[in-house]
Amino acid sequence: MIEKKSLGNIIFHTINYIFLGLFALFCILPFWIMLVASFTDDMALRQNGYLPWISQFSAAAYKWVFAGQEIQIGYEVTIFVTTVGTLGSLIAMSGLAYVMSLKRLKFRNAIAFYVFIPMIFTPGIVPWFIVTRNIWGLKDVIWALIFPMMIQSFWVFVLRNFFSALPQEIIESAYIDGASDATIFYSIILPLSKPVLATVGLFMAVAYWNDWFLGVMLLDFANFRPLSVLILKMVNNAQAILTAMKQPGVTIRADTLPTLSIRMATAVITIGPIILVYPFVQRYFVQGLTLGAIKG
Amino acid sequence: MLELSRLKNRIAVAQAKSGGKRHGALAALEYARQNWTLFLLALPGLLLIFMFSYAPMFGVVIAFEDYSPRTMFASPFVGLRNFATLFDSSIVGRLIANTLLLNFMFIIATTFFSVLVAILLNEVRSTVFKRVSQSVMFLPFFMGWTIVAMVLFGLIDYDVGTINALITKIGLDRIILTDKPEIWPFVLTLIRVWKGTGSGCIIYLAVLISVDPQLHEAAAMDGAGRWGRIRYISLPALVPVIILLVLLDIGRIFYGDFGMIYAVIGNQANLYSTTDVIDTYILRALQSNSNYGFSAAVGLSQSIMGFICVFGANWLVKKYSERRGEDYRLF
Repeated sequence: MIEKKSLGNIIFHTINYIFLGLFALFCILPFWIMLVASFTDDMALRQNGYLPWISQFSAAAYKWVFAGQEIQIGYEVTIFVTTVGTLGSLIAMSGLAYVMSLKRLKFRNAIAFYVFIPMIFTPGIVPWFIVTRNIWGLKDVIWALIFPMMIQSFWVFVLRNFFSALPQEIIESAYIDGASDATIFYSIILPLSKPVLATVGLFMAVAYWNDWFLGVMLLDFANFRPLSVLILKMVNNAQAILTAMKQPGVTIRADTLPTLSIRMATAVITIGPIILVYPFVQRYFVQGLTLGAIKG
Repeated sequence: MLELSRLKNRIAVAQAKSGGKRHGALAALEYARQNWTLFLLALPGLLLIFMFSYAPMFGVVIAFEDYSPRTMFASPFVGLRNFATLFDSSIVGRLIANTLLLNFMFIIATTFFSVLVAILLNEVRSTVFKRVSQSVMFLPFFMGWTIVAMVLFGLIDYDVGTINALITKIGLDRIILTDKPEIWPFVLTLIRVWKGTGSGCIIYLAVLISVDPQLHEAAAMDGAGRWGRIRYISLPALVPVIILLVLLDIGRIFYGDFGMIYAVIGNQANLYSTTDVIDTYILRALQSNSNYGFSAAVGLSQSIMGFICVFGANWLVKKYSERRGEDYRLF
């Protein structure tokens, strides 16, 4: 639509651009502070605080982070959990969704109901916690970070709706040609479903990458922790030290604190991989969020 | 078409031969034999759902027991004693009030900002500005809550926080946020807006883009200004989606996203009075190994209230969409 160049329009657009620009700045500011602090000398941070510009450049924090055993293991754990979890979750969820999409099956509605119930009723964290640890034995093992969140009913339904919308003639003709159900699923359905698989896979990958809940709940004495849990520990330690310092008569030497720049460097390397792939996968995220609002 | 009818014929013949006349268990077995690959495809999913959703449902019995780790689910049955303690204790009222108030603030603030940003983005003419600002606003979506907590700490810390560092540069007194529980609901809401606006506005933007541009042109021809077009074209297009999404959020009001609160508030007990919600309370109880039976009773009450809310919200959505001649439902 062509607009008149009236004064009102010019004022509106200026204000609009300024507001949206400021809001975008507000969104990106924490990332900026994080990045700047991770490249600033630790003593300078102690003196000046987390400033939005680099007062004294230093890459020491990254050297320390990559030399540290704990964080290296954390990185490996997070990468393993994200890859295996996302792939496993896609295989398990799409298999289930495909069976639910087949109109010729008698029990498909029963399965749909079975998948649906957990969406509206959860028994609470306590029974889940006890059953997962004591009955299924998922405690202090890497699978404890993977299995419990592998199936999300919501995404199963999204996949089911996509499979149902595929042209049924293709499936029927493959059936006539003698293809088995597994062949049809793996060599016809899945290749046709790349967009929805990419969308669901990305949301699952972000969920696995950032998840701290399973790590906090199911790892007690394991010698590994995912990155998110390591970060949570750093935050809690810092908070505890702050509280302790307010008590009279307690002195804590400053050099026992986890250093300020290392904390931010850990945050940067944790968020880095996801931010880097974001431009390539942006359209799938948009697709997923629009799918999310229109349920079937 | 010919092929299809031939297939149907074949299936009918096969059925008549194999399972058509059989009954009961034999027919079921035959049916299973024909579809066993499908069963294998669905099996991992079915199994995982059983393990982590259905099995814990039997575990709710501990809400009615005096739980001890040694006897687990076979602990002595105490009836409704845990629930009686629950309704007597002052803490539960506070937990419910905090859960509802915080989620209520989150829903209002995130909806308002998502709609506002969507409308304003829709008015932007420069595609480059639109694309770049939208991508930037979307970035917080990727930041896990634990990192959010760490950066927040970096912003508001008393000694080294960015805010205080800048404030002291211009000669003002440092501010201490961690001593003021009353402002934390607003801080949490602000974080929520920061993290959710970029992803939340996408659905509204999709609706605005689908509005016929001729409507806008006709309105402009008839002398409607920008405000008029927003007020009488854009907003009415958004209202149904806003109502549906808000109702769905209300359905989940007892759950909310406690990940944020747990990560951001952590163990700062002086902030619990305004920020402790049902989930964070249960989580701490589990970690300190105390009173599982009572925590399970709290969790079960939450589930039941949540269940009622989901059904209520679904009923409202159905009623609302029926009146508009559409069919939006959660289920």
